[in-house]
Amino acid sequence: MVAGDQSDPADVLIIGGGPAGYVAALRAAQLGRAVTLVERGRIGGVCLNEGCIPSKRLARFAAVKASAEKQVPAGMPVFSTAPDMAAFQQSRARAISTLVKGVSSLLEAAGVKVIAGSARFVGRTRVCVEIAEERVRYFDFKDVVIASGCQPDGMKGLPFDGERVVEPGRALEWDFLPDSLLVAGGDYIAVEIAVAYARLGSRVSLAAAGDRLLPDFDPDLSAAAHRGARAEGVEVFLSSDAAAMAEKAERVVVSAGGRPNLEHLDLQTIGMSPPAGPFTVDPQLRLDRHVFAIGDITAGLALAHRAMMQGRIVGDVLGGKAAAFDARAIPRAVFAEPEIAAVGMTEAEAHAQGIEVSVGKFPMAALGRAVLESATAGFAKLIFAKEGGALVGAHLAGPRATELVAEMALAVEMGATAEDIALTVHAHPTFAESLMEAAEVSLGRPIHIRPKR
Amino acid sequence: MARYEFRLPDIGEGLAEAEVAKWLVSVGDRVREDQPVVEMMTDKASVELPSPGAGVVLERFAEEGDVVKTGAVLYVLETEATIGGAAAEPRAPASSQRPAEAAVAPEASGVLAPPAVRKLAREMGIDLAAVKGSGPGGRISTDDLKRHGSKGAPHSTQGGRRIPLRGVQKRMAETMALSARTIPHVTGFHELDAGAFADLAARLRREAEGEGRRFPFDTLLVRAAAIALRSHPIFNSSLDEERGEIVMHDDVNIGVATATPSGLIVPVVRKADGMDLSALAAAVDRVTSAAREGRASVADLQGGTFTISNTGAWRGGFGTSLIKPPEVAIVAFGMIEQQAAVREGKVVARPVMPMSVTFDHRIIDGEEGLKFALTLRGLIEDPHQLGE
Repeated sequence: MVAGDQSDPADVLIIGGGPAGYVAALRAAQLGRAVTLVERGRIGGVCLNEGCIPSKRLARFAAVKASAEKQVPAGMPVFSTAPDMAAFQQSRARAISTLVKGVSSLLEAAGVKVIAGSARFVGRTRVCVEIAEERVRYFDFKDVVIASGCQPDGMKGLPFDGERVVEPGRALEWDFLPDSLLVAGGDYIAVEIAVAYARLGSRVSLAAAGDRLLPDFDPDLSAAAHRGARAEGVEVFLSSDAAAMAEKAERVVVSAGGRPNLEHLDLQTIGMSPPAGPFTVDPQLRLDRHVFAIGDITAGLALAHRAMMQGRIVGDVLGGKAAAFDARAIPRAVFAEPEIAAVGMTEAEAHAQGIEVSVGKFPMAALGRAVLESATAGFAKLIFAKEGGALVGAHLAGPRATELVAEMALAVEMGATAEDIALTVHAHPTFAESLMEAAEVSLGRPIHIRPKR
Repeated sequence: MARYEFRLPDIGEGLAEAEVAKWLVSVGDRVREDQPVVEMMTDKASVELPSPGAGVVLERFAEEGDVVKTGAVLYVLETEATIGGAAAEPRAPASSQRPAEAAVAPEASGVLAPPAVRKLAREMGIDLAAVKGSGPGGRISTDDLKRHGSKGAPHSTQGGRRIPLRGVQKRMAETMALSARTIPHVTGFHELDAGAFADLAARLRREAEGEGRRFPFDTLLVRAAAIALRSHPIFNSSLDEERGEIVMHDDVNIGVATATPSGLIVPVVRKADGMDLSALAAAVDRVTSAAREGRASVADLQGGTFTISNTGAWRGGFGTSLIKPPEVAIVAFGMIEQQAAVREGKVVARPVMPMSVTFDHRIIDGEEGLKFALTLRGLIEDPHQLGE
């Protein structure tokens, strides 16, 4: 078939059905646009199928074992048994299938036309979708949204082999427990996988190239993650060469970030050259008048919740609304031991921008709830701008930190001050009290810790 | 080469600020000494500010419509020679050169406004950087946005042609809104027999024109008001709300509401009670002509203690007027027309002039209002005093 033969009209065409693309499709359809969504893999993308969702399933599975063995209150019998990984993987597959079906049914209900296949541009307003070998369809669009996501990058000296050396997504699908596991990398994905498999019983080495884990987090959080991983039995190597350590490990997981899925799109056809890194977009997420880019292919944190918000915003823009992606607070959550979460600026980032700050840090060890749950590792560290007093960043380590960060994200977006947080009554006894206490510390009047002399 | 910062001079009597009405040059333009650079709108007069020397305009620090404080840098000139004898100052950090309003919030947090407010601002087409936040640390609320929006945001999603409220129109909007908001107005309507008055005015005009002078009709109305104000000084006062005092003015400075191509302007005849008739006619002619031709000076527009408004030229009848704060009264005159009147039991045709006396009921009561009107009536119906 020659380009220019039969084609279908597509008012809005979205390439990629991950968290960015499917949310954009739903919102644009909500606002009256006729949407066609092209997905070459499974709806839900990396997040749902091989990223956030399965990794949290694994983390939860491992945490249940850890709490049954290590965090049992005195008086409760301790049990220990080897986990049934095959049963776990079956349940994981069922759970993911349920979620994928859920998203698909939402798309169907919204009238979004979902096309399974791989899209590439063959004209300024036309894409060709390869549906199967020898079978293609053409679509003429008015607006196109590129949401094609990223794929895992390999590491020098450690090429993926599909079996022993794998990307993180594969490591979440093992129906066995490796005796020895090397996790190459120091980012949040590496830390999560290392802690989960260590808890399940593997001998885990975590080899980070940098001089600390979670290098883009507050250094106090890096230290907390490091201590926590070691306490779970992970052997941590910093400033290390993972490739040199790989030989001895039964399995190797490489977490080295991702690179945008753009090669197959033939962007030159629409007058664009694929950038060396991610795309830089305007606040309406435009690359060009009728070309939008969202999700992990855009510059910024490669996180599903950011992608989903971009999807909503692009849907609004396509629906004619005066919308812009201007989120100031994008929370980050690390499901390790302890849980780590952050939003906004670190102290160093604030200093780099010339913002004078006052910091309040409150240790979990001083919090009633943490003591009664024997979970005293961690802290809440809040960063406030001296001028005006608004919260500019929050850095949390400890139980439920990944939930507590939501309050901090809201506080940053609302411009809440230390007084606002300190004077908001937090339920007792909860881990959330640590936030109120940290705000009090920043104001120099903590109740539950001794003042510094 | 020297860098000269042109600061807004005091172009009125202790004027604190002025609005940029129009830039007459662009950045990069070469200007001669004394070449007009910018047109400023003060109170109700516009003033062209000439360049203090020859040079090139490097930067402009205000947009048209911006209000600039006296002493703030308006523009920067790169000059060949030093201006004003002083050596060119070394370049200060950019922040200290901007007018105070331009202070920028920290880059990272940007403007302090919650997401819903940012969304609303986009929908209203408002640049948040221009909005003053009333919350802690300058946090902007939806109310702040609405207040800002009602001040005349330059654009919004509503259709239709939109004209920025500027200059004279903006002053009128502000002054009249303040008047309606703060002053309890009371207006009394009075029909005056204007036969003798019209005859007198016609005679005086003929005489003046015979001598090559002009004699505006409003001259006699100003004079009537000036005489009446001397016997009713409360009408020539202001209310100082802050101190809870009534300020009785020594001078009788009468504003004459004047329609001009750019809008309503009220030039002031100073010390209107101390002039003979021909001097008064010349003064009325001078200030109203200057206002109509857009060359009224700031001094011509300030210091009024009372206002008259003559709507006769537009066949106006009775009307309620808004007092110009901080004045406390205004009198409006309508067109003199033949009307049926009863004189000595007979219906006769008489020239009648409608007069509407409006006063601030916070400090003037109904009786005083009526007595003042009665005095004016006497002066106009039997105008011998006016012609002296």
